[in-house]
Amino acid sequence: MAEKRPVKKKNKPRRFYDYSLLFTVIFLTVFGLVMIYSSSSYAAQLKFNNAAFFMMKQAKIALGGFVIMIIISRMDYHWYGKFAVFAYVLSYILMIAVSLVGIEANGKKRWLGVGSLSFQPTEFVKIALIVMLALMIVQMGKNINTRNGVILVIITTIPIAGIVAANNLSSGIIIMGIAFVMLFVACKKKWPFFACGLGGVALLAFAGPVATVLQKMNILHDYQLGRILVWLEPEAYPSTGGYQVLQGLYAIGSGGLVGRGLGESIQKMGFVPEAQNDMIFSIICEELGLFGAVSVILIFLFMIYRFMLIADNAPDLFGALLVVGVMGHIAIQVILNIAVVTNTIPNTGITLPFISYGGTSVMFLMMEMGMVLSVSNQIKLEK
Amino acid sequence: MNSNKTHHREKIALLFFLLFLAMTGLMGRLIFLMIFQSEHYSAMAEDLHERERTIKAARGNIIDANGTVIATNRTVCTISVIHNQVKKPDEVVAVLSKELGIEEAEIRKKVEKYSSREIIKTNVDKALGDQIRTYHLAGVKVDEDYKRYYPYDTMASKVLGFTGGDNQGIIGLEVKYEQYLKGMNGKILTMSDAAGIEIENAAEDRIEPISGQTLQISLDVNIQKYCEQAAYQVMEKKGAKKVSIIVMNPKNGEIKAMVNVPEFNLNDPFTLNTNTEIPASAKEKQDLLNQMWRNPCINDTYEPGSTFKIITAAAGLESGVVKLDDHFSCPGFRVVEDRKIRCHKVGGHGSETFLQGMMNSCNPVLIDVGQRLGVDNYYKYFEQFGLKGKTGIDVPGEASTIMHRKQDMGLVELATVSFGQSFQITPLQLITTAASIVNGGNRITPHFGVKATTADGESSHTFTYPMKEGIVSAQTSETMRYILEEVVAEGSGKKAKLDGYRVGGKTATSEKLPRSLKKYISSFVGFAPANDPEVIALITIDEPQGIYYGGTIAAPVIADIFKNILPYMGIEPTEEKTVSTFRISG
Repeated sequence: MAEKRPVKKKNKPRRFYDYSLLFTVIFLTVFGLVMIYSSSSYAAQLKFNNAAFFMMKQAKIALGGFVIMIIISRMDYHWYGKFAVFAYVLSYILMIAVSLVGIEANGKKRWLGVGSLSFQPTEFVKIALIVMLALMIVQMGKNINTRNGVILVIITTIPIAGIVAANNLSSGIIIMGIAFVMLFVACKKKWPFFACGLGGVALLAFAGPVATVLQKMNILHDYQLGRILVWLEPEAYPSTGGYQVLQGLYAIGSGGLVGRGLGESIQKMGFVPEAQNDMIFSIICEELGLFGAVSVILIFLFMIYRFMLIADNAPDLFGALLVVGVMGHIAIQVILNIAVVTNTIPNTGITLPFISYGGTSVMFLMMEMGMVLSVSNQIKLEK
Repeated sequence: MNSNKTHHREKIALLFFLLFLAMTGLMGRLIFLMIFQSEHYSAMAEDLHERERTIKAARGNIIDANGTVIATNRTVCTISVIHNQVKKPDEVVAVLSKELGIEEAEIRKKVEKYSSREIIKTNVDKALGDQIRTYHLAGVKVDEDYKRYYPYDTMASKVLGFTGGDNQGIIGLEVKYEQYLKGMNGKILTMSDAAGIEIENAAEDRIEPISGQTLQISLDVNIQKYCEQAAYQVMEKKGAKKVSIIVMNPKNGEIKAMVNVPEFNLNDPFTLNTNTEIPASAKEKQDLLNQMWRNPCINDTYEPGSTFKIITAAAGLESGVVKLDDHFSCPGFRVVEDRKIRCHKVGGHGSETFLQGMMNSCNPVLIDVGQRLGVDNYYKYFEQFGLKGKTGIDVPGEASTIMHRKQDMGLVELATVSFGQSFQITPLQLITTAASIVNGGNRITPHFGVKATTADGESSHTFTYPMKEGIVSAQTSETMRYILEEVVAEGSGKKAKLDGYRVGGKTATSEKLPRSLKKYISSFVGFAPANDPEVIALITIDEPQGIYYGGTIAAPVIADIFKNILPYMGIEPTEEKTVSTFRISG
């Protein structure tokens, strides 16, 4: 994948640029647009009298994001570090602002904006935290392996993650996840992380009884317990909480091996609510079948593989940690999204990176990709 | 830094491995869902998406004996406007007002009303609907539908019956032959979205509808129309409440006409046919409608009165307790046990033979015959003639005979039954029994349905009806024909006499209950030709004003009907006609 650029002008060392990743990003984004069109055209036609409404909106933002990605990728990533603290502080300001003057949609204040321009600050928080933690860990040096170092990282993460979680639980979980992954890579210790991971899996395995107990102790809200019960037995709640999950399962199940064919989904016709958002993977399954769904997962896996390569070869720890943060972010979202859609874990609103509809999400994902490509661009090819 | 890097690489590799495991796990989950659970979920999804839309099957026509269509379907249009889609409201108002003949203001109100769909007019002729379509007005909808249509409006309304909103029969033959007429609705199985809107181009399963079968009935429109006219005339002339006429083929029970005036309009069956004020409560209105829809020939019973003497006479002759020339004497009454039962002729008929007694419609003579038979024998014949049960006609709602129980029947009851009082039967039961006695003794089943033919004409089903032979001997039957011919020729039924035809018959004037009201039902049952009956007819006139004797008001109506329908049926008058005309003019 190395580019062989003829040595010109300055005697600059040959630089690497991860075109594989770039093309993967382009492919996923375009595929996402196709799937957004496919899954939303029916609803968009009814609602806006324009089948391409959602697709066009997303396409414009994705195009803008792509340009920004290229620009960022051409910059030296060390430069971002200068903004880390500012961005971190800004995260708090934005999150507080959104809870006060946020734009309400579906009963939740998640958007900030003026006029037609609006964005979800939670997406900004993710990227800010990645940069902030990377910078902190680099500055700590070997202290990261000490208890204090770990605690410092946790103290940096918990407050902002908490505020985000209060606004949007899923984003809070993702932010925690990103910090967890970055700490895992940075820290020499292994077992505490495995213990945490196992704890999480165990919690999931005994979610039903645990949730019931928690609810009885008034720690869990009724609706949260409801979600867990729905997860355990979606077919028992077809019209209430289980509706979305069950409709998603219908879509997935209808797909079979090769699917109905692109554009042939029936579940997108109002059955799966807002099919272009969180549940878009179920429509992919219905239209493209197991074959298409597995292909999508494999492409994400390839993307993560590229992240690993870039992180391994990053010129310094800061670059490596930036890439690891992005890797964690994307991996967590992909895994959680597909897990939710396939009802492997309880339902929580997580989008599928690059594919789900959402302007803020795709814009900041592009920025993150820009950062990763920037890191890749700093890799000096030996010889 | 180098050692650091190695450990970071190791960790990143481990991370990648874990993520790889997680994704593999998800792929496994997908395989489980999409391969092993696929059938389960796709079946559930299919269930959710499929919508069944029925294609209405055209209801079968009903045709008369000559093939004239008397019940069919008509395509009608419903004109409606959809507010949101109307582009030029002024033009819409102008066109609809012009075409439909409705005030502009009224249409404008509907066009401007903000609603999803406003119906302007229903049951619009298809031609007019098509014409409105040619304007291509945005927002104006012309929807087509089948509607049951009866070309003769009121003809035989209580026999044919009508259909309801789902094209199902509600009363009359429409109910009885529902299974032949209704056909089978077709189905379109379509896929639909969550809002129930059909998905275009989705594969659809289509099951074609099967049109209903054509039902041919024995009713003859010409005879029916003539009888209806005659019934209306006598009803009007006599100020009667209602008049019913049944015309039947006595040999096989095919009913050629069944008139119950006042009839109602089958194309508008929910409007009362009287001028009475429409009652406020829905229940009262429904009661009145149910009354209007009743078929008095079949659904109601009455005391047959003197026409029933045919049965007593036949029973007497059949058992041999009486002969034509047996002598009786009528002092104007007969005492049975402690009861004095009067004859209609107060002074009495004096000495008379049995034949003369019948011709005079003398009550004491028939009481004597009844007494000679005795309760057991009389009851035996009552049952043998089929009077106990229903006639089995193919019109729903037939009323049962109301008769004394055998153990409760004393000589007084026997005496009154002998001349047609103290029990009730339907007019149809009377004509059926009379027909069976004069047709040679075969109890026939009165009916309308002849055959049902599939819409494509490929197969047909001819209905068969039971016939009980030998309820009286051929000999008795012949004697009865002779007696009844004499009744018309010289007796109480002489107003039914018709030049050139041999007519037999019997009159009756029944007092309605309670007797104190002095309300009557005048009736006459007649048949022709008397030697070999081809047609038998019964008229009942309910509550005539003024003269109410059956022989005076009912018999001439039947004579008039016979005069017109016999030639129509191909029964030409005999030579006697000219002779008698000559005689009279001479």
